[in-house]
Amino acid sequence: MAASSESVLLYISNVRCKKVEGTLYIFETRMAWQQSSKDIFSISHNYADIKMQKISPEGKSKVQLQIVLHDGGSTTFHFNNPEGEQAQRKDRNEVKELLIQLLPRFKLKVNKELEEKNRKLQEDPELFKLYMDLVVSQVLTADEFWANIANKPDTGGGGAPQSVGVSGAFLADVKPQSDGVNAITYNLTTDIIESIFKTYPAVKKKHLENVPHKLSESEFWTRFFQSHYFHRDRLTAGNKDLFSECAKSDDQDLLAEAWKVSENPLVDIANFYDDPEDEGYGGAAVDKTSTTHQVNQNMIRRFNHHSTMVLKTADDSAGNKSTPSVSNGNTTLPAAAISEASNGSFADDSSCSSWVVEPPANKRSKLIEKLEYDDLEGEETRRTARLNLVKRDRYYHGPMTLQRAEYRSNDEIIASLQAFTDAIAAWQPALPEVLPSSIAVGVMGELSPGGVLMQGGTTDALLNQMVSQPIQKDMKAIYISLCELLRHFYACFPVTSKALEEKVVKMKGTLDRFHMVKMRPFQESVMRQHYTVNLTGHLDEMLQAAYKKYEAWEAKKTGGGRPR
Amino acid sequence: MAAEEGGCLLVVIVDTNPVWWGENCMQTESGVDENQLHKCLDSIMVFCNSHLMLNSENKLAVLASHTDQSKFLYPKAESATAAAPPSVEPREDVISMATGEESNDSMFSRTNGPGSCGEGKQTSSDGRHELLAQLDDSLIDQLKEMILNDSSQDNILRAETMLAGALALALCYIHRMMKEHTKQGLKSRILVIKAGEDSASQYLPFMNAVFTAQKLNVPIDACLLGKDSGLLQQGSDITGGIYLQIPNPMGLLQYLLWVFLPDADTREKLVLPPRVQVDYRAACFCHRNLIDIGYVCSVCLSIFCHFSPICSTCQTTFKIMGRPGKAKKRKLLPK
Ligand SMILES: [Zn+2]
Ligand SMILES: [Zn+2]
Repeated sequence: MAASSESVLLYISNVRCKKVEGTLYIFETRMAWQQSSKDIFSISHNYADIKMQKISPEGKSKVQLQIVLHDGGSTTFHFNNPEGEQAQRKDRNEVKELLIQLLPRFKLKVNKELEEKNRKLQEDPELFKLYMDLVVSQVLTADEFWANIANKPDTGGGGAPQSVGVSGAFLADVKPQSDGVNAITYNLTTDIIESIFKTYPAVKKKHLENVPHKLSESEFWTRFFQSHYFHRDRLTAGNKDLFSECAKSDDQDLLAEAWKVSENPLVDIANFYDDPEDEGYGGAAVDKTSTTHQVNQNMIRRFNHHSTMVLKTADDSAGNKSTPSVSNGNTTLPAAAISEASNGSFADDSSCSSWVVEPPANKRSKLIEKLEYDDLEGEETRRTARLNLVKRDRYYHGPMTLQRAEYRSNDEIIASLQAFTDAIAAWQPALPEVLPSSIAVGVMGELSPGGVLMQGGTTDALLNQMVSQPIQKDMKAIYISLCELLRHFYACFPVTSKALEEKVVKMKGTLDRFHMVKMRPFQESVMRQHYTVNLTGHLDEMLQAAYKKYEAWEAKKTGGGRPR
Repeated sequence: MAAEEGGCLLVVIVDTNPVWWGENCMQTESGVDENQLHKCLDSIMVFCNSHLMLNSENKLAVLASHTDQSKFLYPKAESATAAAPPSVEPREDVISMATGEESNDSMFSRTNGPGSCGEGKQTSSDGRHELLAQLDDSLIDQLKEMILNDSSQDNILRAETMLAGALALALCYIHRMMKEHTKQGLKSRILVIKAGEDSASQYLPFMNAVFTAQKLNVPIDACLLGKDSGLLQQGSDITGGIYLQIPNPMGLLQYLLWVFLPDADTREKLVLPPRVQVDYRAACFCHRNLIDIGYVCSVCLSIFCHFSPICSTCQTTFKIMGRPGKAKKRKLLPK
């Protein structure tokens, strides 16, 4: 048997395809049909290529199953079990049932590809037009088309798949709905849950521990939202709460982050003192002991923590394997910090920040002094290129066309100067007689539509009016298609590899086909309109140029050895 | 149309190239009435009057562009009328006047707006509008003064018009007027009435002036009495002005009124002569031929019609990237 490595899920003999008797095989990833006398599959369809299956209606004389492919093709299998219609139907249904199970597994993958292609076509009307011109009219096959398009720089997607980050506002986006009584409904989607897990690993741990052994899914989330953990200030977090541990671990995370930053002596975290200007007008000391201040600080800490965690999720997905240390940052926490964290005093905000500030400013400046050397710094003065002009005049005045100025002798110039001076001296304005009516009428004629001065320059506008709108549109489409094809054609040169050689020949064929299928009819339709201008001349020229290039290449190839 | 919008400043640049005009005068000397120069000057005068009459807010300046200087004919330089009798000293141009004897004053403070100019002049006696009378008188006086007292003509004979300088002066004036009238939103345009030929040496200054005009949003109209001017074609095209070479200079006024009097907004609604196709090809630095495709020095931007390994303008040496095809061929040949 041909493909023995694949496991055959089902095979049915006495299946006809195109009136030829054969056997139908259902494999894991494809279905295939083998003619009785041969041992190769003359028909094979990957499930990914299959759009759907159709069956012949009950009561029809033939029991058939039709496979419709994504590219529009189809294959019809005729079940022809000699044991009669009952058996035939049974065969067909077996295949059908199996396909129903198998096809959806591949659907997802195909859908994604198709969606991507669809998206590209929808977003780019020009591409869509190209697709219609080239693929639908069968100048190119769909695969060729997409292979070529794929060469183009892809704007959307492409490259390594990028995981979606976590929105900073994902918790706020869970808009609770009140039912009017006292209950509030939270609508959680898997996305949100995913986000919560990503951002708060501690909650994920709790979830693993408790669901489903101790709590149901919904109960867990109800608790989650009810818990103080979710609420604004967690000052009153009791020990009984399921999530009180989470709160502690959060604080630990925060501490670890702070420690990480404070380890770098070049960063001065003490500079960022939170000193609101409206309190004390920037000068007087802020009353730190007030409870509102405490609450505010807690709020800010929670926001900071939240932002940190959200940022970390992005970090994780970026350097998934290379830096696992980010997620287990806690383990690298210095002993001092752990002891500090574990005895619970971290709830007091001030103590936390006080030990972060430790590295003094002068220590930092000393470090900078040690780390940076003046004589290693790059020189500030950069040498610039100087313009070394040899022909100054030429540079300043630039070129002008060679003057065909009439040559005048000095005498002539003096004579004309004299005449001019005399004329100016004799000048007495006679404004009322400045314009005789006969001349005015003549000039009016020149400036009226159709006059001497109104000619020319209007050909563009005329052409626009002359050529009918549909032809203009067709012409544009043809230009776009042809240029695209020519682009691919010329991209093959210089022909350096076997693959390129094949492509050149193929593109030449495609151009020929385009010429016959698209351009000829268009040219004929243009001919019928009897325009005075040759509209398609340039299209022809472009094609001829390509043909010439091809012929030259072919001649060179076939005449290979002998030099000319 | 522009009545509510506070008028329009028109700067007319008249090419007073004596050589060209002199030749023209001599050619048409057969009939005394047919003197083109007089007709054209009269036409320009009437056109200027028309511009001022069109809207009381309209402003005007007239510049003469001569072979060795550019001069404001209107509004006239104040000190020139008030203090000095027609100066005997040879003047290169207005700017050198400013740096000369009366150095305490800048040029721009002396070229005043229409309102304040020439108060010492006689008021019109023939019932003409005072402003228009002033304009006419100023044009005649200043032009005659410039031409007849021009004593610099003896040493160098030049046949080229200083058009670039005149354009630069016009733009300076426009710039100043725009600053003074920011509230009304003064619209400005320049009309060049050109007689003589283009001067090759002014290419870059001229183009600089054109791009300045483009930046200031000042269209440059061009009315050609003589030959076509490639420079002005480009200038009008770049700034969105109208370029027109007129077939019959005797009807100049009609062309001016028909084509150049309407402001930019009105022009959109009129059927005016179509734009000329402008030849933007550059001339190569080596032979001054117009070329479609050439080589440009990457350092000084000189244009050449053929490749040379060293730029002849700035001595830059270019590295030549050998074409891969050639190298291979050479290897193949010995076989
Ligand atoms: Zn050259
Ligand atoms: Zn150079």
